[in-house]
Amino acid sequence: MNVQKAISVLDAELIVSGDGFLKDVKHVMVSDLMSDVLLVDEDDMLLLTSLASDQVLRTAQIVGAVAVIIVNGKSLPSSMKKVALDLGMTLAVSKHSKYNACIAIHHCMPQ
Amino acid sequence: MENATPQSTSTPVLFETSPGKILPADIGHQPLVLLELIQRLKVRDVMTRDVVCLERYIPLWEAQRLMKEKHISGIPVVEDGRLYGLISKDDIILAIEGGYIAQPCGHYMTTKLVVLEDDMPLSFAIQYFDRFHFGRFPVLNRERALVGIICQRDINRALLAELSEEFNRMEKSSARTMQQELDTSTYMLRDFPVAKYDFENVGKAANAIQAAMIERKFPTKIVRRVGVAAFELEINLCVHSIGGVLSWQINNGRSEIVATDKGPGIEDVAWACKYGTSTANEWIRSLGFGAGLGLVNVKRVSDEFEITSAVGVGTTVRSVVHIGTPPESQGT
Repeated sequence: MNVQKAISVLDAELIVSGDGFLKDVKHVMVSDLMSDVLLVDEDDMLLLTSLASDQVLRTAQIVGAVAVIIVNGKSLPSSMKKVALDLGMTLAVSKHSKYNACIAIHHCMPQ
Repeated sequence: MENATPQSTSTPVLFETSPGKILPADIGHQPLVLLELIQRLKVRDVMTRDVVCLERYIPLWEAQRLMKEKHISGIPVVEDGRLYGLISKDDIILAIEGGYIAQPCGHYMTTKLVVLEDDMPLSFAIQYFDRFHFGRFPVLNRERALVGIICQRDINRALLAELSEEFNRMEKSSARTMQQELDTSTYMLRDFPVAKYDFENVGKAANAIQAAMIERKFPTKIVRRVGVAAFELEINLCVHSIGGVLSWQINNGRSEIVATDKGPGIEDVAWACKYGTSTANEWIRSLGFGAGLGLVNVKRVSDEFEITSAVGVGTTVRSVVHIGTPPESQGT
């Protein structure tokens, strides 16, 4: 599954296509706690979170995530799109709950 | 070649060896490495030494047979090592047309020859090919004895071989220089001021550090480790201190990040370094941080970790990651 597929599966609105839009997703991290995200050491990771802040994008960049999808339909702070553009980070927003998003993504990931 | 006329020569022909210009005009625009090469190489380094020769009494059909057998287009005519003339393919064609293919070479060979000397720079040979449009030049030594023959294919082959070696030398030299720079000098040192509770800008320093490392093509894992250490320490400065400075430098294959603040200081450093311990308030936690994992995480990604703190004085945290050298600079 690539990021484009994940965005489609989650009926997400693409905010910034960034550098990761067509990249494969090998790991998915679901957390609102960036401290936890910073502990992850995996390549090609998709970050699902209901936390909408600039620091989510910066954290995703630090751990080398390919994309960030904000769930629960959270509205984004005005600065977030610009930060995503600056970092080249793929950013999308889904109305799915975190729980349902996890289920949908799980069905698409290779078992 | 000059037009062949029947003649009997008992003495060696006069040879034109006037040096003329060292380089043809079109060579003057070549790269310096090539110019240096064609000056450094001598004709003797490039010429074919094992020369197929004929004597004057040998019939022309024997010259034709040798050309076919050896895949050559010209044969010098010599006696006792002295060059008397040259039989070319054109001479053979004329002999077949004229019906004198059975005649001795000495009667129909080309005698107005242009020759090269073996200690001339290769640039002379290139210039001569450009000027005279001959397929080959006999090569004489100082004693005027025939020691070789040179054609454009010999030059191409020699230049390709020499250029290949030259490029190898240049690449190794370049890699060594870069290795030395990386090993012995500080080639990056940056300070990032971090203000208390400046959540608008926090993380920019870590992102900038990572971008600099990615630009230098450090491995992803290394970039991530340095980035995590920088980000955690930057967050700590923002959240827990009254503000400070994040310093980053690359030196001797090490990335060193030092986070320094002027307070308030940590009362119990050992406790602060335990998993899950934090003094962060709910507001900080609502922003996704303050889970008490920061220093633990910095320690996890660091090859060297050091923290000193005093209440009312401040805290200094040092994180070193052994980063080696980026792949693009590693020697071959």
